[in-house]
Amino acid sequence: MILVPITYKGGIYRHNEIIDLIEDLGGYIVQKHMIAQEVVLQCFVPKDDVELIRSIGKPLAGEVIDSPLVGTEIAVVSMSLEIHHLPHPSCDIAEYVRRIGAKSNMVSLARGPGKRIAGINDEERDVINEHDIAVYLLGNFETCIEHKMPLLLRGVEVPVVLCGGPEKETLKRIVEPAVDGYVGNVGRFMHRTKESEELTKLDEIVAEITRVLEKRREELAKDPLSVSPARLMVIIREQVPAILAVTSPTPLTVQMSGLRVKLPYDTYADVLRRVEIEDGIKIGDVAEIEPSRMRDYIILRVKPFSETNTVI
Amino acid sequence: MQAIEYFEVECTEKLGGEYYRQITNDVLLDHNLLRVIHKLHVYIDPRIPIFVAVGILKKVTTLVRVSDIANVNPQEGKMTLAISDETYLAPMLKIFWDRFGKDHVDQPDRFTVILTGITASSREIEEMAIADPSEALYKDLVYAFRCICPEGFRVRSENYGAEKFSFIASEDTLTDTGLSLVKEKFALMGETP
Repeated sequence: MILVPITYKGGIYRHNEIIDLIEDLGGYIVQKHMIAQEVVLQCFVPKDDVELIRSIGKPLAGEVIDSPLVGTEIAVVSMSLEIHHLPHPSCDIAEYVRRIGAKSNMVSLARGPGKRIAGINDEERDVINEHDIAVYLLGNFETCIEHKMPLLLRGVEVPVVLCGGPEKETLKRIVEPAVDGYVGNVGRFMHRTKESEELTKLDEIVAEITRVLEKRREELAKDPLSVSPARLMVIIREQVPAILAVTSPTPLTVQMSGLRVKLPYDTYADVLRRVEIEDGIKIGDVAEIEPSRMRDYIILRVKPFSETNTVI
Repeated sequence: MQAIEYFEVECTEKLGGEYYRQITNDVLLDHNLLRVIHKLHVYIDPRIPIFVAVGILKKVTTLVRVSDIANVNPQEGKMTLAISDETYLAPMLKIFWDRFGKDHVDQPDRFTVILTGITASSREIEEMAIADPSEALYKDLVYAFRCICPEGFRVRSENYGAEKFSFIASEDTLTDTGLSLVKEKFALMGETP
């Protein structure tokens, strides 16, 4: 069964029927937002049943949209949290990818700005590596980008999409080592992105992120995960009641090949390891449970089939 | 940008220069500074790296007086002020309290201030200076240029005078090059530092 990421938007009235339908079809709801009279469900559903959900949702004024970024956690790497980079463009981009289903976190570097003085520390590097993809937002000068990028990429293992002021071709030429995606003409600016031209640029960033993630998905498909992270999310929610008391917007954040569990590592790591998925197979058998560098959370990395020899 | 007579952003990278022109414009516009800058020349060389901004200010608006924000009506034993612009109300009240004492200053509602038992004439009250907008202007100007300048350029030399200002910033220790650049850029605008 191939699961595809979609977003369902519709009225609150009878939305439980849609939730039941998705669950009955074997899909997973990753996030649920209730905004006034509207409900937004970000979910994974079987590919063949998308049309069924669409037709059942239609009388309820529901809309089904393809959202390739659902179930991904994106690090938007801003060079600092100063007025120079916030709220534009860092927040604009972080917010835009959030709208189409991604869970974005802003990672700001302690010594990001500048040319000679720029750098990255181990904590920042580790936090970036806990995401599915990192979107680096750089400035307007190619001299500075060329000079600082090798440093900022040191130790970063996740795919990187680079946004900067110079043209895309220039970025490709100057950035060493090469990264996975480039978006030119998006450097530092001090106004809100509201012109159609600027919104097109945001769409271009999303397209580039999607392209890079699709490539990553293809790679993952070659050696599939032992268990779907979305499934683990449902199991943890059922078997570890403490997660229900977490007030964070996404207590369980689904990633492409893992899960961030927002519970303290020391107390809950062993509890999670012992959670049974099916037929005596425990989470500890199919996933690595490690402390996250983000607060005291737990990061759970699902092992591929080649390591565990099981797919459930 | 019509309010500025001369506005140039010079940069060794063409595209970077265009972006910085936009940033400069946005920041000055946000802080309402376009009306006070007469000429502005920005020079950026990311290779050195250095950021230089030099400019000429317009004559800064005069002091704000009571008559600018209120209508003074003298009456028997008291004076009623009808406030038309609340912006400077707080500094005005503070000045009244200092000069006449709180017992003599009453504010029955938002737009009315009543002065009782005072010896000053209505003309004298009207002429009282209550605020100097230029003070805020310099604060805004300092803040604006720190915003415009690339963030990593933290070694700064700033000079704000009554008519002219210069701003030099770099990552590295500033040398005489910066000062000579200031002279050079002032000369481009037909001015001397």
